[in-house]
Amino acid sequence: MNLRTDSVSYGYPGSSRDAVSGVSLDLAEGTALAVIGPNGCGKSTLLSLAVGALVPRSGRVLYGGADRSSLGRRDAAKKLSYLPQIERFTFQLTALEYVMLGRVPWVDPWSGPGTDDQAEACEALSRVGMEGARGRHVTELSGGELQLVRLARCLAQRTGTIVLDEPTSMLDPAHSLLLADALRDLISSGKAVLFSTHDALFARYAADFVAIMRDGKLVHSGSSGEALRADRLEEAFGVPFGTSDVPTPFAGAAIEANGEVGHGRNRDRGEG
Amino acid sequence: MPPSVEGKDPSPCRSRVALGIFTVAAASVAVTVACLFVGRYPKPGFMPISLLLSDPTARAVLFGSRLPRLIAAILLGAVLGSSGNAFQMVFANPLAEPGFLGVTQGAALGAALALVSGAQGDAAIAVSAFAVALLGLGASVRLARAFSFGGWVLRMALSGLAVSAALSAGLAIVKFGADPLKELPDIAYWTMGSLAGAGWKKTAFMAVPCIASTAFLVAYGWRITALSVDETVASSLGLRPRVERAIILVFASAGVAAAVAVAGTVTWVGLVVPHVARRLAGADARFSMPVSVLLGATFAAVCDTIARAALPGELPLGAVTALLGAGAFVAMFSKGSKELAR
Repeated sequence: MNLRTDSVSYGYPGSSRDAVSGVSLDLAEGTALAVIGPNGCGKSTLLSLAVGALVPRSGRVLYGGADRSSLGRRDAAKKLSYLPQIERFTFQLTALEYVMLGRVPWVDPWSGPGTDDQAEACEALSRVGMEGARGRHVTELSGGELQLVRLARCLAQRTGTIVLDEPTSMLDPAHSLLLADALRDLISSGKAVLFSTHDALFARYAADFVAIMRDGKLVHSGSSGEALRADRLEEAFGVPFGTSDVPTPFAGAAIEANGEVGHGRNRDRGEG
Repeated sequence: MPPSVEGKDPSPCRSRVALGIFTVAAASVAVTVACLFVGRYPKPGFMPISLLLSDPTARAVLFGSRLPRLIAAILLGAVLGSSGNAFQMVFANPLAEPGFLGVTQGAALGAALALVSGAQGDAAIAVSAFAVALLGLGASVRLARAFSFGGWVLRMALSGLAVSAALSAGLAIVKFGADPLKELPDIAYWTMGSLAGAGWKKTAFMAVPCIASTAFLVAYGWRITALSVDETVASSLGLRPRVERAIILVFASAGVAAAVAVAGTVTWVGLVVPHVARRLAGADARFSMPVSVLLGATFAAVCDTIARAALPGELPLGAVTALLGAGAFVAMFSKGSKELAR
């Protein structure tokens, strides 16, 4: 397993109830797991525990079998990269300069990145289709372009596991699909991807497995085809779920019934 | 692979950046060397180089007075430019500078306290300046964490304002109680900033901490860039943001305190120079930090030359840097807003 949370719990200081309570998850190489649930259900807290930004009050987080707390920061950064929901940019770094920061764990603190690191960053940008944005400032990119550049930073970090917090929360449908395709490409190349979302269609399309959370607890987990049933979503979100005839870019995935995800565009390329 | 999103600019070329830094360095050397020959001996304006061969007084003026003072100005500007850039980057706040977060005011208060308590020698003044500078910085950061209003940038601005005001008030009280004949003139000298007393001894004193501070900040440039992004991202890259930020601020403050111990309060260099450097070299501190050093050194050297040569009497260095710095600031952001409008 690339990433495992073993019955982790966490409560914020001053809060009487746990934000995450006894959640266990497994994330294997070459798979994607979506954590889905309503606002305040503990998704982001669970991800913060998984990436080491928070320390669990009880339970363990394991990276490739090793306890997260026993790993040095740099070693942990070579195993797992993280894309928070919001990232504020004060200075006008170029996309290439920003993506190159993904090389930080691999470079001696007293020396800057070398030509190999620059090549790695360029390759990461190419991989998400953003090679043309190398010299553009991150502050000038659209929300969708920025999300892909941020994903490229994770790729430059060369980690087996990538964790994304609400990656589509500010994306239009076209860029959501673009991001989902990029994630599917990464998964097919063996990366393990964990992301949180409250978009069931995105989860259905981009993830192999889904964990549904409510009130800090895991209420169901399984393959995305099996887990994303209307009754389970109703229970988690507290509102009725039905099918709709509103068009969606994820329709290719939504009509699949056997749990296998894949979109026409991916299948055309023989991927996903 | 998702479809390509076309960019409008090519990627930045390392050799082009290196050439740019070399050009700035060459221009900086030319300007600072020219500053050496500007003054009021033998008459206001340029001293002819040939005079050095024939006139012993010219040699004494140049090597005994102007050269150590020029080196002091270079060290002062380099340390203020680099520390200003470091402050802005690690606090992700383009308005941050040593003065903004209470370091300069703290150093001035520390020096004033040393002067009124009868401390002798530059070292005692510098240690006191450094200690109170760190106190000012620590109080600014601590207070910003305690504030419950606004984001991190705004909280830093507010706490820096409050701490700087408190330290300035402390300085005013020290001045009020100081001996008007012996101590007050020395303290007044501090608050205006001047390198008039910077001979070889004082320049040598400030050289080690200034060079160490500047060299550290240049060498640590890429980590400083990594610390300028979101804190959770910096942590996920394997950094220890709080520890590394503290180390950077201590190095920056040590250099500033040593420079301020000799030069007094010199404002605006640490604020304006990093902005110009980032415009020229980009935001990545690998490139903007050495350019901040070069521009800061050149700017301080030019300002000090104006301070000593423009009028028969000395002008306060702090007044010259503030005047030129504020002018550059206004010009830069006026130009920026036009670019934005296009």
